[in-house]
Amino acid sequence: MDILTFVSQLLRSGLGNLGAYLAAHVLLCLVPAFYIAGAMTALIPKETVTRFLGRNTPKFISYPAAALAGSVLAVCSCTIVPLFAGIYKKGAGLGPAITFLFFAPAGNLLALAYTGVVIGPDLAAARLFLSLAFGVGIGLIMALIFRRADAAHDQTTDAMFAGRGAMSRPALAFLLVLIALLIAGTLKVDLLTNAYAQLTLPIAGVDRFQEFLFNLAPFDASQGEEGITAQGALLIGLLALIGLTAWRGMENVLEGTNRWTLAALTLTGLTLLVAALGVTPQADGVILAVTGRFFAVALGLLALVAIARQIEPYACQEWLWESWRFVKQIFPLLVAGVFVVGVLRALIRPEWIEALAGTNSILGNLAGVLFGVFMYFPTLVEVPIANMFLGLGMHRGPLLAYLMADPELSLQSILIIATIIGRVKAWVYVGWVAVFSALAGLLYGAWVDGASAWLLGGYIAAVLGALALALYWFNRRNTRDLAARSAIIH
Amino acid sequence: MLTIKVLGSGCPSCKKVEAVTRRAIAGLGLEAEIIKVTDYAQITQYPILSTPALVIEEKVVCSGRLPSQAEITTWLTDALQTA
Repeated sequence: MDILTFVSQLLRSGLGNLGAYLAAHVLLCLVPAFYIAGAMTALIPKETVTRFLGRNTPKFISYPAAALAGSVLAVCSCTIVPLFAGIYKKGAGLGPAITFLFFAPAGNLLALAYTGVVIGPDLAAARLFLSLAFGVGIGLIMALIFRRADAAHDQTTDAMFAGRGAMSRPALAFLLVLIALLIAGTLKVDLLTNAYAQLTLPIAGVDRFQEFLFNLAPFDASQGEEGITAQGALLIGLLALIGLTAWRGMENVLEGTNRWTLAALTLTGLTLLVAALGVTPQADGVILAVTGRFFAVALGLLALVAIARQIEPYACQEWLWESWRFVKQIFPLLVAGVFVVGVLRALIRPEWIEALAGTNSILGNLAGVLFGVFMYFPTLVEVPIANMFLGLGMHRGPLLAYLMADPELSLQSILIIATIIGRVKAWVYVGWVAVFSALAGLLYGAWVDGASAWLLGGYIAAVLGALALALYWFNRRNTRDLAARSAIIH
Repeated sequence: MLTIKVLGSGCPSCKKVEAVTRRAIAGLGLEAEIIKVTDYAQITQYPILSTPALVIEEKVVCSGRLPSQAEITTWLTDALQTA
């Protein structure tokens, strides 16, 4: 009997977590984010960025370009490995390749948007900025350590990087409106959250329904949990409908659109609009608050429809397919992961986490990194896990250390990297990622505890500058050596 | 007979490329051999920066995107003429 109550309590905790993650604000972020990821894959020609990653590009361009490629081109792992191998073997070399590899999981728009909405914009910004700085840093360090091997590696032409491509103007506008839609859906400013009109729908019983939902999936507001509201239940229903229609409409969208495609798109728009409303169930009816967010989302959707007409139909079909592919690839694992996280949360005692990583200590940050390296979670699942740790009392510093290390390193990715750059380089890279993730956690934790952001930024800039100078100096010496040697031979 | 290779680690898009290629081949009434290359060591031998990639007679015709059936048909007829 006791075991039965225990299991049912675990299941309810899992369900509660699932409900909270499918709630309005998460949908307003994730749904557009998937469409944006699809648009970036389908509408941005890879050549717009890869042409800056050739062998003859100056280093001060190829490092930032590598980071840009990481965030824009590498939304999925089918791009990361070949691009990494290409930059390393035939392009700008080990340094930029490593920068690309490090920044790709962290600068990924899906991960950033999700982190920002679930945990907080400050942590998302820290994750972006610190992984950019440290991605370039690790790239520079690796280029320094292995500078001999790097100078010697094959001198083929960089024809692979010669291609030029440009985005069509409507495609660019389309992508920008999609991003605006994501921002309008998630930003918490008065202009968007204020209600400008109010409606009362005379539907009785919704409040009791919501009460029932709260009982079904209990939540603890003090731990930052949210229950499933009546609005949330409606949205979950809509989401299921989108899934069904998309299955029929998106799976073969490359061959042509059909009625199901249109239905899936209409339902998606509707979901975003419903999620943007403020819904308060009361005894005599439901109060609908028409927020600024609602107008912004409606405007964005209209603009998208207008612009989409100017884009080549096949490009639109590609966009829909890529978006659907991301959903298929990521969403089921995310849902399962969120449920499991909810179950785990009921099992882990807050005292354990607080003792280990409750403060911004070196030990706490290392614990965060170690957990990240040895655990492997599907894409995006690291975010609900991090949120669970936060709720259990983990300090935000070690939390960032974990969030940076987890998607970067898993046994599987280390093995793939090793086949391309060799075992020694791969393990040196892993070591540096561990060190820098812990460092990132410490720095961000110090900022949370009140240290000056300017001072910390200054330290980072100084270290990066020193590394760049050292690399420049060694490179000059190398070229001089080479020149001298060839002079002797001749 | 043409030798066609689809490069990719087995992600959904690679399967799409293979399916569209098969349709293009059937549309032309060709005889062709399709080889799926999933090993990264082999994939990186080709001058490509992203998968899925399509290789006809050892020549990369497209990479990093999903070609349409019409495009593939053109590449196939080109390959037939030069062969």
